[in-house]
Amino acid sequence: MPETIQKDSLIGKRITKLDAPEKASGKTRYIQDLDVQGQLYGKILRSSRVHAKIKRIDTSKAKALSGVHAVITAADVPYQRPIGVAKDHLPLKTDRVRSTRDEIAAVAAETEAIAEAALKLIEVEYEDLPILSDPNDALKPGAPLIHPEPHGADGSHEHLKQGMPIAYAGKPDNIAMTFDYEQGDVAAGERESDVVFEDTFFLHYVTHCCMGVSGIIAEFDSSGNLLLYSNTQVPFLHKREFAEILGMDPARIRIIQPPIGGGFGSKLDIYPFEPITVFLAKATGRPVKLVFTREEEFLASPTRQPVILTLRSGCRKDGTLTFRTVNTLHDNGAYTSWGATTPFVMMQTISSLYRVPHCLYHTKAVYTNNPYAGSFRGYGNLQATFAVEQHMDMMAEAIGMDPLDFRLKNAQDPGEVTPQGMHFKSCGLKECLKTAAAVSGYREKFKANQANRDKPGRIKRGVGIASMLHVGGGAKIYPSDGCGTILKMDDFGAVTLITGASEIGQGSETVLAQLVCEELGLPLSAVRVVNNDTEITPWDVGVHASRTTFIAGNSAIGAARKARGKILAAAAMQAGLNAEELDLRGGHIVETQSGKVVMTLSKLLRQLHFNDKAELVMTSFYYEPPSKHQDKKFKGDVSAAYAWATQVVEVEVDTDTGIVRLLKVTGAHDVGRVLNRLGIEGQIEGGIVMGQGYALTEELMVENGVVRNPGFRDYKLITAPEIPEMDVRFIETMDGEGPQGAKGVGEAPAICIAAATANAIHNATGVRIMALPFTPEKVYRALHAARKEAA
Amino acid sequence: MTALDNYVAPTSLEEAVEQLLELGEVTILAGGTDLMPQANAGRVKFKRTLMNIRRIPELRGIAREGDEIRIGALATISEIMAHPLVREHLPLLVSAGDHFASNQIRNAGTLGGNVCNASPAGDTLVPLMVLGASVELASMLDDKLYRRTMQLPEFFVGPGKTRLATAELLAAVRIPVPPQGFVARFHKFGTRPALDISAISIGVGGVLKNGVFSDVRVAFGAVAPTPVCGCATEEALEGKKLDAATIAAAAVAARDEVHPISDVRASDWYRKEMIHNMTKRILEDVSTTH
Ligand SMILES: Cc1cc2nc3c(=O)[nH]c(=O)nc-3n(C[C@H](O)[C@H](O)[C@H](O)COP(=O)(O)OP(=O)(O)OC[C@H]3O[C@@H](n4cnc5c(N)ncnc54)[C@H](O)[C@@H]3O)c2cc1C
Repeated sequence: MPETIQKDSLIGKRITKLDAPEKASGKTRYIQDLDVQGQLYGKILRSSRVHAKIKRIDTSKAKALSGVHAVITAADVPYQRPIGVAKDHLPLKTDRVRSTRDEIAAVAAETEAIAEAALKLIEVEYEDLPILSDPNDALKPGAPLIHPEPHGADGSHEHLKQGMPIAYAGKPDNIAMTFDYEQGDVAAGERESDVVFEDTFFLHYVTHCCMGVSGIIAEFDSSGNLLLYSNTQVPFLHKREFAEILGMDPARIRIIQPPIGGGFGSKLDIYPFEPITVFLAKATGRPVKLVFTREEEFLASPTRQPVILTLRSGCRKDGTLTFRTVNTLHDNGAYTSWGATTPFVMMQTISSLYRVPHCLYHTKAVYTNNPYAGSFRGYGNLQATFAVEQHMDMMAEAIGMDPLDFRLKNAQDPGEVTPQGMHFKSCGLKECLKTAAAVSGYREKFKANQANRDKPGRIKRGVGIASMLHVGGGAKIYPSDGCGTILKMDDFGAVTLITGASEIGQGSETVLAQLVCEELGLPLSAVRVVNNDTEITPWDVGVHASRTTFIAGNSAIGAARKARGKILAAAAMQAGLNAEELDLRGGHIVETQSGKVVMTLSKLLRQLHFNDKAELVMTSFYYEPPSKHQDKKFKGDVSAAYAWATQVVEVEVDTDTGIVRLLKVTGAHDVGRVLNRLGIEGQIEGGIVMGQGYALTEELMVENGVVRNPGFRDYKLITAPEIPEMDVRFIETMDGEGPQGAKGVGEAPAICIAAATANAIHNATGVRIMALPFTPEKVYRALHAARKEAA
Repeated sequence: MTALDNYVAPTSLEEAVEQLLELGEVTILAGGTDLMPQANAGRVKFKRTLMNIRRIPELRGIAREGDEIRIGALATISEIMAHPLVREHLPLLVSAGDHFASNQIRNAGTLGGNVCNASPAGDTLVPLMVLGASVELASMLDDKLYRRTMQLPEFFVGPGKTRLATAELLAAVRIPVPPQGFVARFHKFGTRPALDISAISIGVGGVLKNGVFSDVRVAFGAVAPTPVCGCATEEALEGKKLDAATIAAAAVAARDEVHPISDVRASDWYRKEMIHNMTKRILEDVSTTH
């Protein structure tokens, strides 16, 4: 036993992720590797048409194939209920298909090959309907209706009732969702403006490309309890949703999450394949496993929300912003998922990233026969930031102000309550701006590149800046945004941390373990995290909105502090000392001042356990952040803390080819406080690369409702040689609500890249491009057009 | 993927061509880097027999035979890039290999596979055409091993289609050792630096003496159903001094003689523009470094 132990902190250290050894050695068992005794394999038949009536489905040949246990269509599951954000989506389609991802039938068979073969034997007769693929056409008179009143297979309307979900009752127009927000008086703002710009920005389809494709295993036990092995990001919400869809008691549904090979928001909604797999398990009485192929993942998992965004903004000559008016058209695709709700985040950037007195914001999400969008890291913020930050540069140029000074002039300060009601208790935006600009040499480079534009030479350099604001302390979207923790200590001083928060590769279990160790004075090796079984873990709303470190972290700290209190009280009693003067360090109880060791923790725990009053150290804690629901007008303080960042991007544009190379990204991120330095660096670097893909190479090409590049050959992710040099600085604002001062950072790093790249291309070439992605051909065309115009 | 009835792995060229003749319906497997993805995607159906040709020693090796360098069909892209004979006489192939797929694919993918796959974007095809290569085809004739050779441009018929006969195997590629003063360039234009399929590619070769370019060969990839010769561009260059005017004229000739299509990778207009700009860039590079 050491005599004294001095205080040592894990905060800010570089800590290897707890799951890294298993993942790096290939031992992690993802859903792909998981097999359940007696399982069958499920496969789904999707539509071969973009928009059509289903006239006839014949499954008899498929059913007759040896090894096939069930072939189901909508007719076999009359109990199915609509899913999705607007309840407009039946898992198995009844009278019509509205996109090529639409599920028509499903097979459960002994092997994947047999299931595959059976799909080919299913005959479907369609009657094509006119295709609506351009969202601009959705509201025109005579546009094809995507959700007309459905006719059952027998053509009857009998089951239709007023007030039924869209999937049953139909929709008389193609409007899926609208959002309207207003602050101040934009007309007055415009009157005060010296400079006004209006432009339309086009944001494209990209998809998450998780390394782990979607999958699920569904199994009923003999008592009718349902066990799901699922990659969901929201297990507790899904329990409820599955119960609704299946007409089951939620208490009889258990969800276990195997290690998840990436989420990025894609696993935030229920998708048809999940209930369909349950239907198959029900029909066969056997466990059924269904895992997507990569092609299926491209075709049938959600996308980022494509947006056509018209922004009108103005400022005064002195650089004060005056107003912003935004109209967006969201292509909702055939069904409504989370993508339609991205205005919730977009309007925050419009109204509150900088100080703008007057704002008007309208969104229409319209049905088309295209793929539908879900939630995706950044949740609309990449789209909004792309427009807002380009206009910031344009206005700065118009009034002859340095783009950095222009931003600093309008940037938020700590303590600000914005007209939308967001309260920035901590706010490092100005420091982010100054740091990123200083470290990258932004001002000097900006001027030098500008001067270089018209000189000879095919390679042009550019530098661009953009900032972002995002929720960093949870997001009050659901009635509760909380998370529960149970913490238990065994009689050797090891901790089991049972948390509701899911790990999707972001490193949450490591950071939670770290926060607990910090309270209990234990090494990281002393903690096991249990976080993937709804039967065991306490409730959590799910992993989204960059909330886990903040919310689950605070919850874990709460549980750890309770355990700490218990232990120190017991130790004080035994040692005849004052609990306030004791501390936990290195597995021992010590005197706080001197560091003198009083006793060994494990020994104390055993004494507590085995004495006549036998007490186990076990605590639970629930953390609900102090944020408020927005009112009906979208005003309110939705997060307990807000994250800020500025990124400066340096590019090289080859004017002969249009190829844009990212040379360097300098980031300054207000993360509240760095907890796990290695983890946060990884998170930010990964986010930058994701933003880079969005800006430059990635595009899900959808033509007339058909995805033309459902594979990595022509869906171009960033490859290693394209990854830029990165210099990331952390601005530690020590948020008062955050766990050890930290704020959420999961989504932040992906948000600014496209906007900053657009500004950098303009700095390099004088050409401004308002449509993503900046593929070589698009950039070349823009340069070519500009050259022609000049000539 | 379809189920196979039969798998054979001959250990000599003679055995292989005999089996080809006997079995008739055969799919040939070399490195499998084209075949397997195509089969998985349902674009290629396996025939009744799968023949693994990787155990045939005669298909291996790179050697000089008289005025030619013979590269066995099974030589992998990595082997070609590392081989001293190639590095000395055919640096063009090394530079083509440099932009070919990834290390893993280069270690498995063979020259024979690249040629027989006959993709208009196949990255060895344009350089091979510039080098005046021919293919050595083996079959069984009158109970004997029979070989014929064919100039490369003649070999290609369309995407994935060649003049290879049903019972024939590509044994090797033969390349004349380039003459003194021969310079050549290959430019693969994709939209990213690694693991990309060419949107267009250009190869230029010829003898440069006292600034004059002669015996010029130009070929383009991914602008037609097969890799094609750039005859008009050759004409614009043949016997000329590589000065700015010649280069400009050649770039225009190149743009005007290709008729690419529009697809997910690029539009026809952009492809033509890139043919122009990259031809110019290559020629400028030749004229300034030699
Ligand atoms: C990820 C990836 C990246 C790629 N990148 C590139 C690239 O950058 N550039 C490029 O050009 N290609 C690329 N390819 C394609 C492929 O790797 C090459 O074409 C390779 O050279 C094919 O060789 P192989 O030995 O694998 O051919 P295989 O797949 O074995 O065969 C290809 C075809 O040729 C036939 N065949 C093979 N050998 C013979 C023979 N000796 N006689 C008769 N027929 C024969 C086969 O039956 C088959 O039809 C890529 C492929 C992948 C998977």
